[in-house]
Parts: sequence; C-alpha cells; structure tokens
Amino acid sequence: MYGWLGRCLRVNLSKGAFAIEEISRELMERFVGGRGLGIKMLSDEIAPGTDPLSPENRIIFVSGPLVGTGAVTGASCNVVTKSALSGTAACAKLRGHFGAELKYSGFDMIIVEGKAESPVILSILDDKIAIQPALEYWGRTTSETENLFKKSLGDPWAARETYLLTIGPAGEKQVPLANVINDGFLSVGGAGIGAVMGSKNLKAVAVKGNHSVTVADGSRFVQVVTTLINKLNGAPLTSQSMSSWGSAFFVGLCHEKGILPFKNFQSSSIEEARRIGTEALAEAFALRSRGCFACPIACIKKTNVQDPRFQGKGMAPTYLAIGALGLNCGITDLTAIGMANMICAEMGLDPIAAGGTVATAMELIQRGVATNEDLKADLRFGHAEDLLQALTLMATKKGHAKRMGQGAKALAHEFGNPQVFMGVKAIPMAPFDPRAIQGMGLHYATSNYGPHHLYAYTFIDEVLSAHESCDPRSTEGKPELVKRYQDTTAVMDCLGLCNWPLMGLKFNNMVPMVNSCLGTGYKAEDLLQMGERIWNLERLFNMQAGITGEHDTLPERFLREPLPDGPAKGQTSRVEEMLPDYYRLRGWDSQGRPLADTLKALQLGE
Amino acid sequence: MARIKIDHTKCTGCRHCETACSLNHVAGVANPRRARIRVFREGNTFFPTIAGPFVDAACTSKNQLMIGGQTYNMCLICRASCPEKPFFIEAETGFPLKCDFCGVPPSPSCVRWCNSGALELVED
Repeated sequence: MYGWLGRCLRVNLSKGAFAIEEISRELMERFVGGRGLGIKMLSDEIAPGTDPLSPENRIIFVSGPLVGTGAVTGASCNVVTKSALSGTAACAKLRGHFGAELKYSGFDMIIVEGKAESPVILSILDDKIAIQPALEYWGRTTSETENLFKKSLGDPWAARETYLLTIGPAGEKQVPLANVINDGFLSVGGAGIGAVMGSKNLKAVAVKGNHSVTVADGSRFVQVVTTLINKLNGAPLTSQSMSSWGSAFFVGLCHEKGILPFKNFQSSSIEEARRIGTEALAEAFALRSRGCFACPIACIKKTNVQDPRFQGKGMAPTYLAIGALGLNCGITDLTAIGMANMICAEMGLDPIAAGGTVATAMELIQRGVATNEDLKADLRFGHAEDLLQALTLMATKKGHAKRMGQGAKALAHEFGNPQVFMGVKAIPMAPFDPRAIQGMGLHYATSNYGPHHLYAYTFIDEVLSAHESCDPRSTEGKPELVKRYQDTTAVMDCLGLCNWPLMGLKFNNMVPMVNSCLGTGYKAEDLLQMGERIWNLERLFNMQAGITGEHDTLPERFLREPLPDGPAKGQTSRVEEMLPDYYRLRGWDSQGRPLADTLKALQLGE
Repeated sequence: MARIKIDHTKCTGCRHCETACSLNHVAGVANPRRARIRVFREGNTFFPTIAGPFVDAACTSKNQLMIGGQTYNMCLICRASCPEKPFFIEAETGFPLKCDFCGVPPSPSCVRWCNSGALELVED
C-alpha cells in the first residue's frame, strides 16, 4: 500500500479507551482519504439528526494519501464533523505541519467519539498513545497551550518535532464560531468545529512519530515533483504574487472588479481599498514567509506588529482576514486587522464567521433595530477598537457578547431582521460580493460547507484568468465552471493537496504525481469523478440533516438590491437563473436531490 | 569545489528538503527522520542543518551565538549528532547518517527541491 498507512486510531473519550483499526483498501480506493474518507465515516457512524455538541457526534482528523510524501503542497489534513454552527457536515482544512506529522506518527485517521469527564489532551508521541488530563491547559490561548505542552515534554529537541492542534477559549466555551488552530495557523473553513472539540473536552491533539510513508515509484515521483516545482516557479502568480504577499494581493484585483465587500456587503469598497494594498501591507508589518509542509509557494506571512497600540507576533492578514474582519466591518487600518486576526488565532475563532457576526451586529445598530445597550457593546462600522473588544468578549462568552457568540444568523433573527444576515446555511459569507462574481455566487449558494470560496476556487479563472479568461459578471458557462472547481477541490482535499497550486498548474499536471505516488493509473477524469462522488455524499448527508435544495440560495440583498457603486454597479446575483443548469449538470432533480441514476453511476447507491 | 550555501533568512520551514533527501536515499520512502538534512525551528526562524560529525558525548561547554541582534543557542546550528541532540541516526539500525552530496553532477536533492532560495549550490 503506497501513500497510505492503512491505520486508524479510534478514541472513545467517555471510556478513556482507544483502539487501532485497519482501514480497508476498498474504502481508500472509493473515498481516497482526507475529506472523502472523513465524510464517509461520519455518515456511516452518526445519525444525520445528531446534536453536533452531543457525545454521539464524531470528530475525525484525517490526512490524505499524498500528505507527507513530499508531493507538492501535500500538507493538508482535514477535520470532519457535524458543524455546531450550521448543522451541516463540516470540513476544515489544516495547514502547516500537523497533517504530515499525523502520517509520520503512524495513522491516516483519528476518530474521536464520546466526551471526556474533564479536559484532556490526546497525544501520539513515538507510538505512545495517551489521553492525558489537561486541566492546567483549560482557558489558555492556543499559543500558550502549544508552548506549555512542548515545555512539559522536557526536551527541546523532541518539542521541535511535536505538532499540536488545539482549540482556544472559544472552543472550550462551545461558541459555535470556534475554529481549530495548528502550528499558529487558523484552519480554513473550520467554523463550528472548535465547539465540537470543546464539547468533547478535548483541548488538543499532539502528534510526533517515526513512521515512514512509502511511494510506489520513487524515482518517477521525484522527477515529477521536480518538474512541478519548476512549473510553479515559472508561473508569475505562484512564484511572485503569492510568495511575496500571500493571498493579500487579491485585495487590489478584487477592488478593480468591484468584488470587495464593504460594511456587511452594503456596497463595494472603493476608496478604502487603496489604503490597504500590498504596499501598505509591507509598511505595516515586517513580513516573513512561512511554508506549510512541502510547499514551494510559502504564502503564509508571519509578522511582527510594531504599532504601539497593538504589539505582538502573528500571522499577517490574508485576503480573508482583510475582507471579513476589515473591510466588511468598515475597517481599513491594517494594523488593527492584523491584530483582530491574531485575536482570532489566539482565541480560536473563525475569522469569517466572527467577522460576519460583528458586521451583522454593526448593521443592526446602524439601522437602529438594536442599540448599544442591547448588545452592551459599542459596535460602529469603521471603529477598530469596537471589533477587537467584541472578538475577545465573544470568544470568552463574557458580558453580553454572549449573544453575538451564537453567530450572525441567530443575532439577525433575534432582532427581527433576518435579511441583515449575509450568509448561507447559517455560515457567514467569505468576502467576495456575489453580485460582481457570478460563478462564486452560484458556488456560495450550493456549497455543502457554506459560502466559503476555498471549496471551489472559481476565482482562479473568474478574476485571475489563470487558465481561461471569463468575465466575472457573466453567467455564461458558470454552472460548468462551478461544478468543475467543486469536484477538483473535493478530490484535491481528499488527496491532501492545497488549492493554491491551481494558480500555476493545471489539475492535469498533478495526475502523474498522484499516480507515481500511489501506484495507480488514474486519468484526470477518474479523479474528478471521485471528487463528484465526495460532493454527492456530502450533499446526501446534509439533506438527511435537513439542509436541502431550498437552502441553495443567497441572501435577499444579493438577489434584489443592485450593487450601489463601483465597477460592478447595478449588478445583482443571477444565481436563480443558473441553478437549474447546475442541478442538471450534477444529475440532480429540480429540488436539488441527486437522482438514483447519478448515485448509481458514482457507486453511491446501496 | 562545490558547496551548499545556507541562508536561514530565506528558509520558510516547509521541510521539502527533508523529504527530498529521504526519497533520494531510501528508495520510495518519505520520512524526515531518515533524512540527512533537518530544519530546526526557533521562534519564527528556521535553521536548515546538514548532517555532520557523529559524536558519542555532548559538549561540556555551551556557547551562545549572536545573529542580527538576537542570541541563539549554538547547539541549534551545530551539525553534529550527539546524545543531547540525537538526530541523524537511522532508527532501525542505529547507523549514523551523513550528507553524501548526492546527485550527478553534484546537484543535491535538497537543493533541487528548495524553492525559497535558502539552499543554494555555489562553486568557489
């Protein structure tokens, strides 16, 4: 067996017991790994109606077969569970080194069930598996937890080889907006997962090990990877833009196309974006590139905030943070955005979900339906100190920000203004205005994991024109584009690859790497079909959990209110027009239910 | 003579060099602990370190090193494998590992896969 280790660790926290299980070859071939295997195990093991915060819910940490092999960007590990925020399946993508170390520790997958009586840390250190009490870690921020745990090992060299995945105070308090953090990196799409970990009293997972991952055809694999590195190096987007600025360079591009949201998607940021471009980023921070495991791009930027108001070390704001925590809350001060991002990482909050909630609260106050007294916090668009205060309070459930911790949707409903909530399936929206980028809008409406751009990166063609140039404002060919990117992303997550290389490589370029690693003879279509299988499986799980075709829509604002300003002025999202085509392409009926024939073709029917 | 130039200010800590080394020396096996190059992290800085001498006793004197206004423990950049820093040892056999400047003409696999510019082959 190549790439895979074929071993799964099952931990029952209620009993304090664990067992090592074998993963069958058939499962691996059908569901590949990562997100695919995770969702398969989840839908097999829990009833779709399970309460996400109950001990019956599972939380599954699963790496893909290419993780840790040295495959280009083969670092992504997925955390799959039923989300506490949306009630759908949730799948976070972890960056950094945790995924690779999980493989080296001897396991492809860890399934955690039950609930510990008191806080625990699960550790797999050189084949010694332990569920150790973690009372002294409870209440600590993520970096404190990591440092304390590493110190407790008593050997600085062993500490350097140990990688941790932790939750912060937000996860402990079961705030539905909580995310998981590893190596100081916020996970992608992890809203609602931190709370599940917290409900199990699982503070952290630590891994370290000495196991080898084998590759089918070593010399061919080395050759292919070398070619891919050179290709990435030759592509301007991956070698220059991403490597220098991380995803923050999108700010300028999105500004030009009118995609940047402003003040809870009320308009598109025009003047403000100028103050926040890449040059400003360099002025505000001393940047240093950090790479995830085996990544030649190194898009993550570590910073040292020098500003006397806020000081500290953290991750430079990515496009996501700038959009969701910054512009969407009306804030253009980069240092403050960087600080907000750091609070999210320390407290274990998801920046999109938390930013979306603050923006919703700000709009409620702006409209006069809620007052500062109601929320017991000053929340004004454009005031950085309001945002920073709200984030800390939300994470710790202190004061009256407790209400905000329940998420943007709950908040908007509570004040009788549900139309103020900018999100889909109870998850706030990633900072791309769907009125100005139609394909992304369709993806937001149909995504199994809520409106998050990293589950279908249509942006690569719609704005960056990396492979084909399409007009973001046109709907032509968008259903095909969205389906293709959704399937591609699904299979890449399963394999354990990051999405960014798609900016410099075609998916076809990666097929030889997959084959030489796993010893298979897949064609690109075979892999995309696997992606489609995963997408449908997730859809089925969500449907059984009560999230159906009627949730495949966008908030009223995008459908009825034309964009008031910017290059895309006057546009609305035409998602309703594209949806029937999308369903047809997917082989679903008019209600968005997969047809029996579709499931049969994907080998999903019983 | 060709040599490997290490620029720790450029290292992104992706550890691609480690897997490259492992895959190149043990056919089809990726395992950083079998690599002859390791990347050691200290705060936000990374030090790529290539396997050097194998010693069976740790140093009795400890040195501190100032780089760019910051003090580092010199063990961090020391290339030796010692009881206090037990790296570069083949786990199954206990055999010490050493960089053999692999590749013909010399183009070590770690350098080939390093995209950050931290590892570079120079002639002098």
